[in-house]
Amino acid sequence: MSKKLTVIPEQCSGCRICELVCAIKHFGVNNPKKAAIRVLTTYPQPVVRMPIVCSQCKVPACAQICPTDSLRWIDGVVQLDEEDCTSCYKCVEACPFGAIYIHPDYDLPIKCDMCGGDPECVKKCPKGALRLIPEAALGESRRLNNVLSYTQMKEIEFYEKGEKKVIRYAEVGKEEL
Amino acid sequence: MSIKSGYFKQHLHVDLTKGTAERRPIADAFIEKYIGGRGFGAKLVWDNLKNHDFKIDPLGPENLLVVAPGPLTGVYLPSSGKNSFVAISPATGLYGDSSMGGGFGIELRQTGTDVLSVTGKAPELSVLFIDNGETTIIPMPELKGKSCLEAEGMIKERLGTHAVHVATIGIGGENTVRFACVNTDWSRNAGRAGMGAIMGAKNLKAIVVRGHKDLPVYDVAGLVAEAEQAFKYMEEHKYFKLWQQEGLMNVIDYANEKGILPTYNFKDSVFARHDQINGTTMVNRYKIGDSACFSCPMCCGNICLVKSGKYTGTVVEGPEYETCAMLGPNLGIDNFAAILSATRLCDELGIDTISTGSIVGATIEGYEKGILSLSDLDGKEIAWGEEDAILELIQKIAHRQGIGDILADGSYRIIENWPEMDKIILQVKGLEQSAYDSRASISMGLAYATSDIGAHHTRAWTIAEEMEEGQNWTNDEKVDTVIYHQKLRPLFDMLGVCRLPWIELGLSEQHYANFYKYVTGNETSLEELLGLSNDIYDLTRLINARLGVSRKDDTLPYKVWANPPLTGPNAGKVIGREDFQKLLSLYYQKRGWDENGIPPAEVEKKFSD
Repeated sequence: MSKKLTVIPEQCSGCRICELVCAIKHFGVNNPKKAAIRVLTTYPQPVVRMPIVCSQCKVPACAQICPTDSLRWIDGVVQLDEEDCTSCYKCVEACPFGAIYIHPDYDLPIKCDMCGGDPECVKKCPKGALRLIPEAALGESRRLNNVLSYTQMKEIEFYEKGEKKVIRYAEVGKEEL
Repeated sequence: MSIKSGYFKQHLHVDLTKGTAERRPIADAFIEKYIGGRGFGAKLVWDNLKNHDFKIDPLGPENLLVVAPGPLTGVYLPSSGKNSFVAISPATGLYGDSSMGGGFGIELRQTGTDVLSVTGKAPELSVLFIDNGETTIIPMPELKGKSCLEAEGMIKERLGTHAVHVATIGIGGENTVRFACVNTDWSRNAGRAGMGAIMGAKNLKAIVVRGHKDLPVYDVAGLVAEAEQAFKYMEEHKYFKLWQQEGLMNVIDYANEKGILPTYNFKDSVFARHDQINGTTMVNRYKIGDSACFSCPMCCGNICLVKSGKYTGTVVEGPEYETCAMLGPNLGIDNFAAILSATRLCDELGIDTISTGSIVGATIEGYEKGILSLSDLDGKEIAWGEEDAILELIQKIAHRQGIGDILADGSYRIIENWPEMDKIILQVKGLEQSAYDSRASISMGLAYATSDIGAHHTRAWTIAEEMEEGQNWTNDEKVDTVIYHQKLRPLFDMLGVCRLPWIELGLSEQHYANFYKYVTGNETSLEELLGLSNDIYDLTRLINARLGVSRKDDTLPYKVWANPPLTGPNAGKVIGREDFQKLLSLYYQKRGWDENGIPPAEVEKKFSD
């Protein structure tokens, strides 16, 4: 699989629909505490709404620490072998993002399985804060946004067929060079 | 009818005086009849009143505070994050309730609790912590004087987790300001009817919940299919994106255009500089993010940041329409940054923005008209649009300093102190009027006059429809619409969901009967649910009638009869007293109450279970 589930926290409203649909899909219950994705909110300093979900790392810290090799990166997804897992939760502690969860009703760690390539949370996010994009395109929008914010953007208004339009362009100041 | 799921059938009752917490089973018959939320609350408050021979001091330990989500709270359907606070209101001395969004109600349900009731008074400032099945009362005197935002942070630090939900009061609640609110998720409030003052009087700084239980649903597949339809309808609605972008702030332009925007304490109903404080200005200059309650695609909350000028650095979730109107045009403020600052201040202090805006507006006009003297104002002048003086007065109200001590007790005390203020302040039954001008719409007047908690639009909001229908709307239609709203809108508060998808995007109410069916397994029609909701309206009327309310109290602020708006499309309009009395008689008749507005004796028998 060459697609990645990515998060755009600036778009997230904190509604937690992702949590609900994840729990319904995997456990058949209305319980956001059984989701493999959770929205962490901080306020007012800083204002952050951050959905936290497995990044399917190619060198997964969770798999490296797993004493029974129950976590394996296969075809783009870090998959849990439920037979071999001993529920030691070393993976929960090792994940640098805290993206593996535990629920008292259930022994196994709860982690994202990408819903077999068509994640429910991506489909149901009303804000487009969760996206499934090709690996090759990762970072593209960030790069563009960063470029736009680093440079001094200027605006010119002009009229085309009587309609007012605005063109934006970057002008790097000479003194800054 | 029979309930198969949807409830834990658990009522958690806490006595702060005795320091006890007790879980009581809830009978099926109770669940079927009262549904949840405000329904549970009204019944428990009624029983408590009977036990105290109808003598309850709203700020006394005997006032029972009910916190109740509904059977739909937290399940997969649009905007299921609501939770009601119900008690005898310190603002009106009558039945009161207020609902909050955010995530508190879901977490409360996940502890296995359908309804929480709190009585008594803790010996020192405390926090009630419901941690799944365990309930503890933890003294936290260090929270004294802390703002809602600080308190939420300190509590999470003390408990060592961010994974809890906190409903807290600020200094306004601690000081029993009669329009203090309860704040959750830093900026979602149970704003009206003074629920925060009750917690303050009980020495209860906060209720903290942490739960992990599955929410009981009878038919998950059925619910999901119904919810998908509802979500799809909303997302395809032509105004859906506008709602995500502006939330309730889009109402400012509408209200100004229609001439119903409170301006200078309702002296006027259009605001010349409305474009400086409208949704477009907010989006272009201040908005930095969206905020939603649980499971809501509309995300009506706007997170704003002031990036320049003297309020630089102010971050606030909001304001929404009411807040912006009452703290903006109503006070003559045209600087959106100042409105944001006042909103943040009210969030921190934990006081209701509608009542605060109304009372500050009345104070300014009272001083302008010479009813209040400079010494009444502690030597500090105040006038329309004077941001510094207004922000200072808001502080004084919450801290009960100088004149703030009187203003903090709300309309009744203000009128008691300065009888002429009766003509200035807009209130019904002691609750300050919200931000829709009823002079343009007699049915809205009827809605305010007959709302069970006072002059609030939560029970019926018919103003838009009346303005569309214009002169063609007969009295019968007006009364029928008010009564239909008073059945349907409280039903949302009983089910524990938000009404905005219905009122703003036109999501069919039929969906809610289906949601209820899938969650509870109870095959009930919308009509039956509306009937149950109507019973609760009878019950809250019965409560109020027993506490002395009758026809004489179902009235409107003086200005509505006597002072028309000065400019705008409704310039010169007032409501005629005779027209109104005619409408009120028709309303009583259709409700089956007597000429004096008292429900018949058989109503009481319904609630003797």
